[in-house]
Amino acid sequence: MKRLHTVLLYIALPGILISSCSKSFDINNNPNQATTPPLNGLLVSATYHSAINVYRVSNITSYLVQYLASPNSDGATDTYQSTDYSTTWKLLYDNMTDIHDLIDQAGKQGAARHVGAGEIMMAINLEMLNDLWGSVPYTSAFNANVIQPPYTADDSVYTYCIALLDDGILQMKKTDTKYELDAAKDLLFGGSNEAWIKTAYAVKARILNHLTKKATYNAAAVLAAVANAYTTNADDAQMLQFQSLSPWNEAAVNNINNSLDGWLSAHFVDAMNGKTYGVFDPRLPLITDTTKFGDYRGTINGAGRIGSGTDQEECYLSVNGFYSKPGAPLLIATNAECRFIEAEAAFRSGDKKRAYSAYILGITANMDKVGVDTAKRNAYLHNPAVGVGEGAITLDLILKEKYAAQFLHPDTWNDARRYDYKYKNFNLPENAQLTTFIRRLAYPDTEKSRNGANMPSVKLTDHIWWDSF
Amino acid sequence: MKSLYTMTLVGTLFFFPLLLLAQNHLITGKVVTAGSQDALPGVTVHIKGAAAGTTTLPDGTFRLNVPDANSILVFSFVGYLTREQALNGRSTLDIQLQPDTRNLEQVVVTALGIKKEKRALGYAVQDVAGADLMQAKQSNVVNALQGKVAGVQISSGGGAPGQGSRIVIRGINSLDPGRNNQPLFVVDGIALDNETVVTGTVSGSTSDPNTETRGMSNGAADLNPDDIESVSILKGGAATALYGLRAGNGAVIITTKSGKAGRLRVTYSSTAGFDKVSKTPDVQNIYSQGNNGVYDNQSFWPSWGPTVAQARTLDPTHPAALYDKYKQAYNTGSQFRNTLGISGGTEKVVYAASLSQFNQNGLIPFSNYKNYSARVSGNATLSNKFKMGVSLNYINSGGNRANFDRYGEQLIYWSPRWNMRDYIKDDGTQQTYGATDNPIYTVYSNRFEDNVNRVIGNLNFSYAPFKWLEILYRAGVDYSNSGIRHAAPGPKGTVGEVPSTDNEFGFVDEYTTNRKALTSTLILNFKNKISSRLSSDLKVGQDIYQRKLKRVSTEADTLDIPDLLILQNAKKVLTNQYNENYFLMGIFGDWTLNWDRWLYLNLTGRTDITSTLPKANRAFFYPSASLSYIFTEHLKIPESILSYGKLRVSWARIGKDATPYNTGSGYIPLINGPIGGSAIGWTRDDRLGDPNLKPEFTNTFETGAELRFLDNRLGVDVTWYTSKSTDLLIPLKLSNATGYEDFYTNVGSIRNKGIEVSLNGTLVKSKKFNWEMRINYSSNRNKVLSLGQGLDEVAVAEHFGYAGSTATMKYIPGYPVGAIFGTSYQRYYGSDKEDPLMIDHSKPMIIGQTGNSAGFPLINSNQKYLGNSQPKWIGSITNNVTYGPFSLSVLIDTRQGVKKYNQLANFLAAFGESAMTANRFEQVVFPGVLADGTANTQKVYLQQAKGPDGRNYGAGYYRNVYRGVTENFVEDASWVRLRNVSFTYQFPATLLSATHLVSAASITLTGNNIWLHTKYTGFDPESSSFNAGSNVDAFAGFTYPATRSFLATLQVTF
Repeated sequence: MKRLHTVLLYIALPGILISSCSKSFDINNNPNQATTPPLNGLLVSATYHSAINVYRVSNITSYLVQYLASPNSDGATDTYQSTDYSTTWKLLYDNMTDIHDLIDQAGKQGAARHVGAGEIMMAINLEMLNDLWGSVPYTSAFNANVIQPPYTADDSVYTYCIALLDDGILQMKKTDTKYELDAAKDLLFGGSNEAWIKTAYAVKARILNHLTKKATYNAAAVLAAVANAYTTNADDAQMLQFQSLSPWNEAAVNNINNSLDGWLSAHFVDAMNGKTYGVFDPRLPLITDTTKFGDYRGTINGAGRIGSGTDQEECYLSVNGFYSKPGAPLLIATNAECRFIEAEAAFRSGDKKRAYSAYILGITANMDKVGVDTAKRNAYLHNPAVGVGEGAITLDLILKEKYAAQFLHPDTWNDARRYDYKYKNFNLPENAQLTTFIRRLAYPDTEKSRNGANMPSVKLTDHIWWDSF
Repeated sequence: MKSLYTMTLVGTLFFFPLLLLAQNHLITGKVVTAGSQDALPGVTVHIKGAAAGTTTLPDGTFRLNVPDANSILVFSFVGYLTREQALNGRSTLDIQLQPDTRNLEQVVVTALGIKKEKRALGYAVQDVAGADLMQAKQSNVVNALQGKVAGVQISSGGGAPGQGSRIVIRGINSLDPGRNNQPLFVVDGIALDNETVVTGTVSGSTSDPNTETRGMSNGAADLNPDDIESVSILKGGAATALYGLRAGNGAVIITTKSGKAGRLRVTYSSTAGFDKVSKTPDVQNIYSQGNNGVYDNQSFWPSWGPTVAQARTLDPTHPAALYDKYKQAYNTGSQFRNTLGISGGTEKVVYAASLSQFNQNGLIPFSNYKNYSARVSGNATLSNKFKMGVSLNYINSGGNRANFDRYGEQLIYWSPRWNMRDYIKDDGTQQTYGATDNPIYTVYSNRFEDNVNRVIGNLNFSYAPFKWLEILYRAGVDYSNSGIRHAAPGPKGTVGEVPSTDNEFGFVDEYTTNRKALTSTLILNFKNKISSRLSSDLKVGQDIYQRKLKRVSTEADTLDIPDLLILQNAKKVLTNQYNENYFLMGIFGDWTLNWDRWLYLNLTGRTDITSTLPKANRAFFYPSASLSYIFTEHLKIPESILSYGKLRVSWARIGKDATPYNTGSGYIPLINGPIGGSAIGWTRDDRLGDPNLKPEFTNTFETGAELRFLDNRLGVDVTWYTSKSTDLLIPLKLSNATGYEDFYTNVGSIRNKGIEVSLNGTLVKSKKFNWEMRINYSSNRNKVLSLGQGLDEVAVAEHFGYAGSTATMKYIPGYPVGAIFGTSYQRYYGSDKEDPLMIDHSKPMIIGQTGNSAGFPLINSNQKYLGNSQPKWIGSITNNVTYGPFSLSVLIDTRQGVKKYNQLANFLAAFGESAMTANRFEQVVFPGVLADGTANTQKVYLQQAKGPDGRNYGAGYYRNVYRGVTENFVEDASWVRLRNVSFTYQFPATLLSATHLVSAASITLTGNNIWLHTKYTGFDPESSSFNAGSNVDAFAGFTYPATRSFLATLQVTF
């Protein structure tokens, strides 16, 4: 009997030890994270990455519109190879997820400005996805319950962009909002509502202008949007603060340090140095430096370098250039762009006077931004090849100047596709893998392996929705 | 041994009253060891056919009362052959017992650190003696187990000094590719942390991709194999049900050497050896630098130029022949190990201590590893009720770890027209050509060094207040502090400098990790004799395991003074930290019933409570049952036919928990720091955790037999098992459109089944000449049964391949775990239906008709099944031959039916370096059919640019077609390997006695990995591009080459 009691005691001891320990198990909340982010913290990352995403997308499109060329022959993007851009896709969606969370949280707190800014940024990012990949997941995206989101139709995504911008504008105009945007955390506009509204109109004008091949193209709507957008260079949407270097500056610095990057394409250099159009563009010396031969020459896309690549035998983005100097602004939407959109819309609606005036203002705006000397700027504008007069203004001229003014901007690929790449002397790259110009990107490898059932099957020559009649 | 003695003593005391009842004859005597005549204490002496008996005292003597003067007495003792002796009226018996050399251990260490007689076990256990472990002179204890145990697959990640090894028992039963699928390592009853360290960085997730490919050591590599007495491998569920969920993949139980009573023994052993690369890929040496057949000695393209002869006409400085890159890239490595061990003690106290030093220089220049270890242990018998033991092991290890993946990649980009060995200029900057980086300069200037200080200590007590109760308590600590430093200088800015790309603007990264694990186990052991033939052994206990990890990372870049590598010299500094806590408690019971020592029934039950699951699912219970039937004892089968036969059967259930912090999700600051110096952006973290997480469960069933024939000359051990794992936990990779990268949830089930066969036999046994052979064979079939969440497939990991030929490892129901998918050639099926996943290799390829692909095979870009990384079977043969003082041991092992994606071959083809691309200027007609099924007759040239037929072939066949087909690079990675040859000479005792100092000495010559037969064209089919802790074993690209080692060892005992 005593033995039985002893046995029971020994068994019970561990039991006593156990019951006192339940708090030791409640340690599975990740101490390395925050459960709820600050609303303005999301604003910081949303504004910052919306700008950086413009750079990331440009790092693809610039090679397709031959602003830049790969220093290696048979460069994958240059020669239209089916390249995997899983990283860019991920970064676009990561940013859109944070924007989605921003809109969601702001909505619950009655912070209309944050909702508006969020919607405008969502449209900017979604537009880029739509332009590159056409149909992408959107309506069921950002939802942890739908682990394999279906793809939203190409034209629907487009319509959502417009709707987001319209609602964004409304939200920014509301008068009963609780919070204003934090000036230090709004990295794009420092908290200015007017700037957000103007930007929304600028982006709306840009998007509406994509429909030039469609029967639904409405030049008047484009002009109406432009009227509420930018009027001076001070309105430009740009990022000026960075975690380390401004991205194109980093490319230029890397290039000097043997990690070749930021090489100018022969097509772009020839368009600017007088070879193609007979006029020397004064912006060229503000973008790049002369070669060791004393002239400006680029690299043919697909051909790669002709020498060692470290010997100044061709032009690269310069560390002194406007677009690639230390702290260079990263441009999201500009006054110059608005002028060219206006010029094209006006031209298409038959108003040559307005078109020509906007065309001249556009060139002026960009030259002023880049820092061209006033005398040289005026000389250029008076050159008969450029200042042709109202009666002689053509779409070709508008788009030719827009190409130069929009250097390194991703929207140029949209222009090129609408224009069927009809820039003078614009040729297929060397060793092109396609027989015609590229029209879209292939879906990323990560989508193929993780969401393959929903991913449409496409070819790089398939036209996306607004690119077809 | 001691506990057995205690147990037997206790059991005998129980019977003492019964003995006193009979007025019997008193028999006395002494038992000694045959040969040495040493007294044998603890020998069981019992009357044959009766339960009565006694045991010998420490001096070997015994006293026993027997009823019948003609009884037969049976003398039995673990490790010795049982002896029966008829009394025939005598009252004194002196017995000599022969040592039992058939099986090295009749006693194995099982769960809880308790030794059990092997006969009592209803499940498969295999053991390896310390001496066997040392045979291979492997520095990593996991590698030392290669080929020794059936059902255990050990893959060395590569030949890097200190490189981690991966050990998998009975196949993979977990789906999480990042989860440790390795068994639990237990050293003297305390669990050892066997994780492979990865750093945290601010620029990515908690694992820096650079550490993945640096061959970091697994934790068990810290152990000095010289310190190990024996290793038991517990394979199946029942074997590990008592260690709980951490042993869900099996357990490796290591017992270290402890002291023995007697005079002071000192042993010293010294090993020196050198390593060479065992295998490099076949490359062509005809075509030189340039692209499109055009020579350019500054070109990015290493091998698409003209022939050497043509290049020499254009460039007089061109060497007469191309350099052999793979010969230049790897040094001859070296390794040195010295160990000094002391042991001794008295009846009451025994102690052992050892000191060891290990240094290795690797094959990749500037890579090395060191390991210094000091160990002391002591065991004391304080009274006949109370015993205690303590041990402390301090280890300092680390080295300069080369990034072998990057090294291999840079090797590909390097043109053999240039001398790689000329890597540095007088001003200290890189010597290279064009804009290409010199791979040797990269490993010279870009250094990743780790230094780990680790202390493993344990304390154990054993208190037996009553004869039927023993209380055991063990506590242990495993504490390690690891410092990693990764730094490289910035560009100097001198004229003509070609900065090294990987060094960027100079950087210094410092990572400090503290990891502490505490273990505490309390066991109550109740031993009872229920009847004369039925005895019971019940263990009840509680186990606590707590682990805390803290990691602080500081990453600084852009150095002001380029070669001053300190944090304060950097313009930008980012910091990050990571904390992790884990707590696990287990309560368990283990009950063995023993019927007359030939039938054993063992039942266990355990409840684990873990911190990593939500409260509702935190505690879970799992039982096991096993039966062991030694039919030779029961049925009295004569020894000449079958000396030992046992049948076993067992069923077990094991539960497993999740990794910490996977039940929720959150937000983190933007990596790369605040913007403009002060604005912190917040973003969603990539991982979505499931708030309803449940434990995984595996049900295993195994049955087997162990038989010994021909007077123990031949032994067979066969096991058949099947196991099904359900509710498996895995981070499911999600489409980025969801906002997450992966979702950690319960998904799917898999099944493993297989057989293990182990044969051992003494082929020749004579006084001078002995020949033993051991054969292990195992085959495991693994299948994903279902995936849950409505999924058809789960992408686990990807490994890059050019032009869309990226290979994916996927889980798909009906296919094994290591299923590899990728692109393939289009094939013509005609009226047959093409299976969406499987390729029918009998069907002809489809050849293009139009455009650039006219005359060339067409690529099918859908992901199809290309092979599987899980082997069909593995086996090994060991031969041990002894002739007098000489002994020779040869181990051959093999792995068959394995496939791997060879990324190295993909790159070699894309850059025109692999031997097969030597035919690049030839004209061929590809065998196949056109889209309509008619035979292809079109002649095409394989070259780049304009061919002799006037057609522009663009980038050429190898770049346009060949490199974009994953199918070309999923290779047969089966192999047969001469893994170890070891020749030992034991100095004869007569020679040594003259020294009056040395009692034993031997010299051993060893060769490891001497010969390899495989179809795999990469470095070594066993290597992996992922670290030792990872489940992703389907990819091997730029791995650290395997080494062929030659070593000499001198071992002396004083």
